[in-house]
Amino acid sequence: MAELPSQASLESESFASLSGHGLRVQGLAAGLPASGILSKKKGLGVTFWVCTAWVALMILLAVLASVLPLKAPNFQDYSSVNVGPTARHILGTDDLGRDLLSRVIFGSRVSLVIGFVPIVLGLIVGGSLGLLAGYRAGPVDTVLNAVSFVLIAFPALLAVMVIEAFWKPVVLWKLTLMFAFVSAPLLFRVIRASTLSFASREFVVAARATGAKTSRILLRELLPNIVPAAVSFALIGVALLIVLEGSLAFLGLSIGLPTSSLGNIINDGVNSNNLQLNPYIALWPSLYIFLLLTALNLMADRLRSYFDLREVKL
Amino acid sequence: MADSADRYDRRAFLARGAAGAAALGLAGVGLPALLEGCGSSTPSKPRLSSSTPGVSTATPRRGGSITVGLNSEIDGFLPSASHFDNSGLTYANTIFDTLTVVAADGSAKPYLAQSVTPNPDMTVWTITLRPGVTFHDGSPLNADVLKANFDALQSSPLTGPALNGVVASFQKVSDLAMAVHCVEPIVAFPHYLSTQLGYVIGMAQLQSASSTKPIGTGPFSLETWVPNDHFTAKRNPHYWRSGFPYLDSVTYKPIAIDESRENSLTSRTIDMMVSHDPNAIKALRANASFQQVLNPSVGQGDMDFIILNTETEPTNDLMVRQALAYATNVDELVKLFGAGVAKPNLSLFPPGSPYRADDNGYPAYDLAKAKQLVAQAAPNHGGKIELALATVTDPRLLNEIQALASMWGLAGIQTTVSTVEQVTFIDNLVTGKFQAYTDEQFGASDPDLNYVWMSPTTANGVIALNFSRNKDDALEAALQKGRTMSDPADRIQAYQEVDRRLSADLPYLWASLATWSLTGSNAVMNFNNLTLPDGSHARGFADGVYDPTSTWRVS
Amino acid sequence: MLRFVANRLLQLVVICFLISIFAFLLVHLLPGDPAKTILGPNDTPANHAILLKQLGLNKGLVSQYATWIINIFHGNLGASFLTKESVTTSLGVAVPIDLELVIVSQVLALIVAIPMALLAALRPNRAFDRIATTSTFGMLSLPTFVAGPLLVLLFAVTLKWVPATGFVRLSQGFGANLKSVILPSVALAIGSVTVYYRLLRADLIATLQEDFVTMARSKGLSTRYILVRHVMRPSSFSLLAGAGITIGTLFTGAFVVEILFQLPGIGYQLVSAIYANDYLVVQGMALVAAVAFVVVNFAIDFLLTVLDPRVRRG
Repeated sequence: MAELPSQASLESESFASLSGHGLRVQGLAAGLPASGILSKKKGLGVTFWVCTAWVALMILLAVLASVLPLKAPNFQDYSSVNVGPTARHILGTDDLGRDLLSRVIFGSRVSLVIGFVPIVLGLIVGGSLGLLAGYRAGPVDTVLNAVSFVLIAFPALLAVMVIEAFWKPVVLWKLTLMFAFVSAPLLFRVIRASTLSFASREFVVAARATGAKTSRILLRELLPNIVPAAVSFALIGVALLIVLEGSLAFLGLSIGLPTSSLGNIINDGVNSNNLQLNPYIALWPSLYIFLLLTALNLMADRLRSYFDLREVKL
Repeated sequence: MADSADRYDRRAFLARGAAGAAALGLAGVGLPALLEGCGSSTPSKPRLSSSTPGVSTATPRRGGSITVGLNSEIDGFLPSASHFDNSGLTYANTIFDTLTVVAADGSAKPYLAQSVTPNPDMTVWTITLRPGVTFHDGSPLNADVLKANFDALQSSPLTGPALNGVVASFQKVSDLAMAVHCVEPIVAFPHYLSTQLGYVIGMAQLQSASSTKPIGTGPFSLETWVPNDHFTAKRNPHYWRSGFPYLDSVTYKPIAIDESRENSLTSRTIDMMVSHDPNAIKALRANASFQQVLNPSVGQGDMDFIILNTETEPTNDLMVRQALAYATNVDELVKLFGAGVAKPNLSLFPPGSPYRADDNGYPAYDLAKAKQLVAQAAPNHGGKIELALATVTDPRLLNEIQALASMWGLAGIQTTVSTVEQVTFIDNLVTGKFQAYTDEQFGASDPDLNYVWMSPTTANGVIALNFSRNKDDALEAALQKGRTMSDPADRIQAYQEVDRRLSADLPYLWASLATWSLTGSNAVMNFNNLTLPDGSHARGFADGVYDPTSTWRVS
Repeated sequence: MLRFVANRLLQLVVICFLISIFAFLLVHLLPGDPAKTILGPNDTPANHAILLKQLGLNKGLVSQYATWIINIFHGNLGASFLTKESVTTSLGVAVPIDLELVIVSQVLALIVAIPMALLAALRPNRAFDRIATTSTFGMLSLPTFVAGPLLVLLFAVTLKWVPATGFVRLSQGFGANLKSVILPSVALAIGSVTVYYRLLRADLIATLQEDFVTMARSKGLSTRYILVRHVMRPSSFSLLAGAGITIGTLFTGAFVVEILFQLPGIGYQLVSAIYANDYLVVQGMALVAAVAFVVVNFAIDFLLTVLDPRVRRG
């Protein structure tokens, strides 16, 4: 009995050497007892479609906000200040008598853009650079790696404050660009690490040996393997950015009022004793964010397990 | 020279220098240095019964310490170099003494000075110091030190201009006396000596120009100061007022966020808190575990208002300013943001002040009139009236200006709102790069202290202390009368005229009195009842400034 | 090995140097300068010029940078233009606060995340895993500026178990010190739990499918034993990497919590100094925060290398 552990640990070392370094998300398909219920034929499942519908609804509402029969988001009705949900105001009103449903929907426009666009931009720029750098070692990789490291190490807060200080007024596209600039180095590193872990694998070596072009290797061999980790990280990134916008609102550095964003509505909701006077202000946007992120997460997880042979077998 | 000291807004972790605005109403920025009426009391007879909050007739107990939560941090302890907002003045009251203190009856009584006497035409005031007073480092208080103090104030770019508006020259007359020649007869000169101008700093600190190692004559001396964390001062055993202070030590903790400060008090992390957040004030007012003191101070309290720039478009047009005043539903505004604690006040002076003109002519809310005026004025401004309204980064103020923008929008004035960060905010006020800003100013124990902030004589140049730059000769005439005439009846008439002129010219859109409050747990006694050397009483708290000399604590 | 370490150290120095330049330039890009802050309403051109000269700010940028760097090597980071407090003293106040916040919050996060990840990896896609994944993702939508006030309202104001604000130094008693940092640390930990949980879970699941695990199982070892003895170690790479970035950015990223709880840490002092154009303080704080990030990550990189020699290149 005493020997078994050491034997196993020896073996763990040698078998571990087969998997790459960096972010190890995918391993070899192993012959573990199949206790899984899911199989490709069964489809993506009810949960997935419910979540998709929900996300689609949120996006639709955001896009169509101006034509929907919503009350004006900035209209202040002093006769209905801090009113709870009623027929006239489905989600209630805030401390200036503004309809919360309308503010949340209009605010979601800002937050959805702030959450997704920088990540997409970051994936395009940072991700492609990461793929390249991870696959082709050498001076380019070293330089890019160092640059990304410096960018991440540097306090983003300072950069944002300085940039905003003389790039007034703060509007959506400027914030988006700034957030993209902050996310790109992180995405670069994630993709690069993931690429590194696959670049030395047999199938990549094999592809190279058979004379495949770099672009083919990147796109056909590496990219599909990297997508799961990238998506996972990207989702967290979206969540963090949406919340980061709120932190900026805390310092008064977010989008200019009275334009609403989920972040600045939440911020409003926790200031001036509003948390005790009218918790709805903070509640609805928080709930929105929670539902959005949960739906996205469930969707991404389901997609991953659907396309991932390995996990399907579990 | 008076002015509402700098205020910090809730983002007061922007500790250095600039002040913030805060609280209800349209708090705005005060200005660095300069004078605040301190230690004053209400005009009505103070009843020193034990049921009055902050006032106790019980036997004082010695010993113990208290922790007070302040709304801002200061950047130093040198009056000629540091920005003294209400917190700065609180620190100063702890370590230094002023030459005079304003008593409950509104008069400025000698405090560190033994007497402050004028010559017959009020142009020369002689300050005679008390004998035998020593600083914390043992050095003596005498006329040399006093003169050195005035020298420092005069040569500092920060306080010089303000001082020179009042004082022409000064010289030592004897060991303990100094004569001050004013630029003109200034009846209220002793009041100036109760403000930042009147703190007397030890020679050693002046010579080293140290803003971190204060040497004063005050009831406590500095023990430790960790900026943004805490300030602790311990009792001065050689204080010239024997018997005072009662406490062994006082600790001040600057806590920028209003809610955090309130939570600190209710969770007993601190013993007392200064606040001008109406919600916090209201919540604690009814709480039997705390005693609360709310302004007004003697004379005038700080006013929350909108300051308009009378030199730039479109607010240089009187019709536009009138339209703005008519379009502002002050009652609604105060209802929305005053938590029932603040009250609308459409005058420079508070209710009950003799200087308040009952018929000051300030425009009452009238939306139709506002629209009419806008329609009339619009052609002169290219057909549309557009205005930029800004405040410092304080969420409550931000909400208020959104409300104002909406109200003004209804009248046809397109208003955009924005926030400006503190330092830039003050800079813009001073250099005139603004249209409409929120402001909190004008607290003073005597109206003349506000001369420099309102007078047309200070409205010129790149840097103007009269921020709104209004040049109204009638106003200047009235201000001059109030400054130079010694008959109280004349002064009343003069300042009522000032009130009327301000309502006619509208450089300021009044909203309400600032709601400064000091709330203490029931263990802290007598914090609003300063006993003066002659036995009379003064308030221990006014316009956000606290004096711990007569406070004691029970366990 | 030694060459590797030396190489790393060199990289560290170069990166810190780059960061110092970055911090210096950025801060001088801010509109306004300390003279404006100090003079306030008396900011006449004449006064301004005099003060600038006094503060040594009238020299060229290169000269100012050189002076700053040379002073750093003499241990002098400069002083605040306003309070005259030396930057070193300010750091002496700030760093212990941030260190404690980081340590306590990350320990809390790990205490929650690791067992959760282990349990989830044991039975992936089952009930516990689903709930855990969803709830941790939900935690991401609870920003610190909401969690903070809620925690204070409950634990400080209502229960009076801990203070609402303020930092009590370790020298004044361990219990009091811990009480003063527990609430802000919990608020900070909430966001980190998600990241750690997801990273660890993914790696654990991947590792569990390796052949050596199957081998160990076939030898009769319980899954639980395998998990803790053999799987945790190779699975902790992503966790460590993630911890590096989280911890590194927390030094300035905790500013919301520091402001809410009145803890004058690096984030708090940085924001404060930026607003006041207090150059040297900003430069000093930014540099220290960035260097801390770099050092932490290099240490973790080194740790990873020790744990897994293949990670050399990454």
